[in-house]
Amino acid sequence: MAKKSESERIGVAEELISPSIPSGDGTVWADVSHLLDLACNDLQNDELINGENFNLFAAMSALEIMDPKMDSGIVSTYYSVDEAIENGAAPVPLSFDRTMDIQGLIDIMDHLLSCEATWHKGGSLAQTVFSCLYLLRPERTSSHSLLHSFCRVIRATCNAVVSAVSDARTNEEDDIFIMAYGLPLKGDGDEKCLSMLHAVEETISRQLKACKAQLSKRIVVEDVEPLQTDLGLEQGFCKALLCRLRFLQHFYHVLTCMRRPQGKGLELAKKHIASCLLELDSIRKSEEFLRTTRACRSLEDMLEDKTTASGCQAIGFDSTLNSRSAAPTPPRAIRLLSWKKAVNYFQKLLHDLEIICCCPLDPVFEDALRFVVDFQKLQPDLIARAHIQLLLVQDGKLYGRDPIFAVICKASLLPDETKNHIIQKNEAVVQLGQLELAFRDKFGEIARTSIDQDVCLKICKHMLIWVEEQTYWIALRFLTLGFELELYSPNEYCMVYWYINVILIKLAEKSHLKIMLGNDSARRKAKKKKDLTKDTGKDYQIPPPVLLLQCYIYVAQGLMMMLASSRNQHKVFPCVGPFNSERERFIQHFELLQKASLPDHASYFSFRETTDHVFFSSLAMHNCFKEAHKIAKELQANFAGDPERVTELRRLQQVAEHNDVALNLLRRLGTLEPSLRISFEFVHHPHFAVASVKRS
Amino acid sequence: MELTKAEFDLSEIEYVSYGGEHHLPLIMDLVDQELSEPYSIFTYRYFVYLWPQLSFLAFHNGKCVGTVVCKMGDHRHTFRGYIAMLVVIKPYRGRGIASELVTRSIKVMMESGCEEVTLEAEVTNKGALALYGRLGFIRAKRLFRYYLNGVDAFRLKLMFPRMDPPNYHESTNATYFTDHEMTPGADSVTNELEFHADMHGN
Repeated sequence: MAKKSESERIGVAEELISPSIPSGDGTVWADVSHLLDLACNDLQNDELINGENFNLFAAMSALEIMDPKMDSGIVSTYYSVDEAIENGAAPVPLSFDRTMDIQGLIDIMDHLLSCEATWHKGGSLAQTVFSCLYLLRPERTSSHSLLHSFCRVIRATCNAVVSAVSDARTNEEDDIFIMAYGLPLKGDGDEKCLSMLHAVEETISRQLKACKAQLSKRIVVEDVEPLQTDLGLEQGFCKALLCRLRFLQHFYHVLTCMRRPQGKGLELAKKHIASCLLELDSIRKSEEFLRTTRACRSLEDMLEDKTTASGCQAIGFDSTLNSRSAAPTPPRAIRLLSWKKAVNYFQKLLHDLEIICCCPLDPVFEDALRFVVDFQKLQPDLIARAHIQLLLVQDGKLYGRDPIFAVICKASLLPDETKNHIIQKNEAVVQLGQLELAFRDKFGEIARTSIDQDVCLKICKHMLIWVEEQTYWIALRFLTLGFELELYSPNEYCMVYWYINVILIKLAEKSHLKIMLGNDSARRKAKKKKDLTKDTGKDYQIPPPVLLLQCYIYVAQGLMMMLASSRNQHKVFPCVGPFNSERERFIQHFELLQKASLPDHASYFSFRETTDHVFFSSLAMHNCFKEAHKIAKELQANFAGDPERVTELRRLQQVAEHNDVALNLLRRLGTLEPSLRISFEFVHHPHFAVASVKRS
Repeated sequence: MELTKAEFDLSEIEYVSYGGEHHLPLIMDLVDQELSEPYSIFTYRYFVYLWPQLSFLAFHNGKCVGTVVCKMGDHRHTFRGYIAMLVVIKPYRGRGIASELVTRSIKVMMESGCEEVTLEAEVTNKGALALYGRLGFIRAKRLFRYYLNGVDAFRLKLMFPRMDPPNYHESTNATYFTDHEMTPGADSVTNELEFHADMHGN
């Protein structure tokens, strides 16, 4: 058998290296050429030597020598940065022809923009921005003020990004490579980069003015030295350079303003973002000029992949040079974003940052949470996510302004004076401030041991309800995210809506309780002051936020019942497979919630108990969709000042209305027409489906 | 590559468990032909040498038309099966050959004591998602930009029925200030929840 002969051969190879290769600290380097020679003679193609510390699993990550994608030691063009420079790979100036020098410089700027965007999107710093030989040898460019100042700001910008991302700690392994691996990320004098760039920018804008004056008045202004020799192109080059320099300048300002404590730089950052976006527009517009002035025009379809506006290859870049020294693992070959995509990326990033800058900074927990949830819908990339994190929590305070304890006190509807209570020093409460889960027994302990029992008990009571409310909110979000991520298949919708319904009921209960406790405290206070004996509890109305939850409950319940009836009556959406049953699907989808007892008593058994005996006929008694529709309509007036909630209510109304029609149809025709086919679509709401009934 | 559907009777398809080195080139050819990710010979060897009983090939008139390559082992205290590669060449698709191949592997995993089976599939691969859905797999997670081509993946999971299912509801009737014990494993709950949220945030 082939397999046997294979292992026999491996056995022979093992004898050659006996005793087995030592692993660990005692490892020494040795010349294995002789061993390799012997092995080569003995081994067939694709066979391997099986050593004690080199098993089949390790073999999978074996490097194939001389494969440029794997072998980081392979020499593509140059052995070192110095050799590349000696061979003229990164000349200073770029050309002695001044027009070509400026053209080359603009290409470098564009290519660096692509590199930066690719880095933000997960490329390694060494293979992207620091593939630029000019950046690797900062001292070489000092005679070329334009290139020199541009390189400095690029380095400073990268530094600012690295510090924001590493401080926020929102990055994952694949997100961004914040490790610099000894790359010269900080150059001497980089802190002065802006003044240098500013000086250069001023000179060029004077040239541009002179240029315009020359053209209009047809006179020669002698004291201004043109950028390059072709005066017909001077204005175009000045403009192309200026927008690139200014963009970088403003972008650096945006990054630094946003890092100012307590969100104090946000207004200024907003102005710089607006300027950045304007410059980005000008950069886009410069494309045509740059393309028409170059001889190296490529085919239209090729341009889409180009990393420069002109379509020409930028000089002074080599992504292979760093690969040996840069990272502990061999780098994967990466593809740079095109110049067009890079411009789009920065536009999106700036829009996301602008939204962060518009944060109202109110010390209200619910508002902050909603702000984050809404922001998340835009699917921001890592840099924007890092900045929102940095803004939210600074020095353990919300927006660096209010202690989290005070924010939670307010959210739990506790009176204002509690926010300074000594209980905030308690470990469980401190953890709560760090948004960790607080445990019930911890709260019990505080209540028992404290001297100031009354106030403590009150704080604990309020906070516990608040924690429970938040926990159910997170559970609800966990379940509804499944729809957005397309994790559920139609035959699982019934159990998902059952669970959503159960969680919603608890959430409504806790929210209601919290509001009532808050009202209670406020009322007692008012009573003390005015000494009123009148009972205010008579005309009690359910608060609108709780009614809104009630509306969701009806929609979820209606969908669950409709899905259960379809399954029980029409035998659609069966949930069985050859290896397991619906029960295993239930456990897998909801395991996390079940383990956390969210809520108590929710089990597969209770799901089946609720849904097994539901039929369309029984749904006539209680039409959830009608109720939901009614509440959604009534609530419109309560949320008139909140356009997002109004939209949400309208969506809920549509879901309820359409499902009500479908339900009626199924109830009347269901048993008569077995050919009716039901499907569920998310046309009106991302989480609540609408049934569509068709004849097959 | 043959683009037209092959005409054959399902009874003509012969299913064979991995039988040794002579099967390796057949598996490699199929996978190279049909799957996007490139694998070196060592990757195949890892799977077929360590778990030959989990790999199967489908033949029609002596020609290999489909294969499945799998492994199993401990993963975070769970004995878990993993489906690494599943390929049926185009003319033979839509007739249940892939289902049969993967079903055979899953059966062996179940008999070997696996508690669950997992795999990843591109979110755009409707055929594969439907196939695994029919077998009882759920979409447990969405893996953002999982493949080199930038496409997201679903982590699919199939849990086998347990003999003694865990009862998570023993600690009930907790009132607000009584000693309420968290269910064991609460730490991992937090991690998993965070992970879920992060994925979406990306």
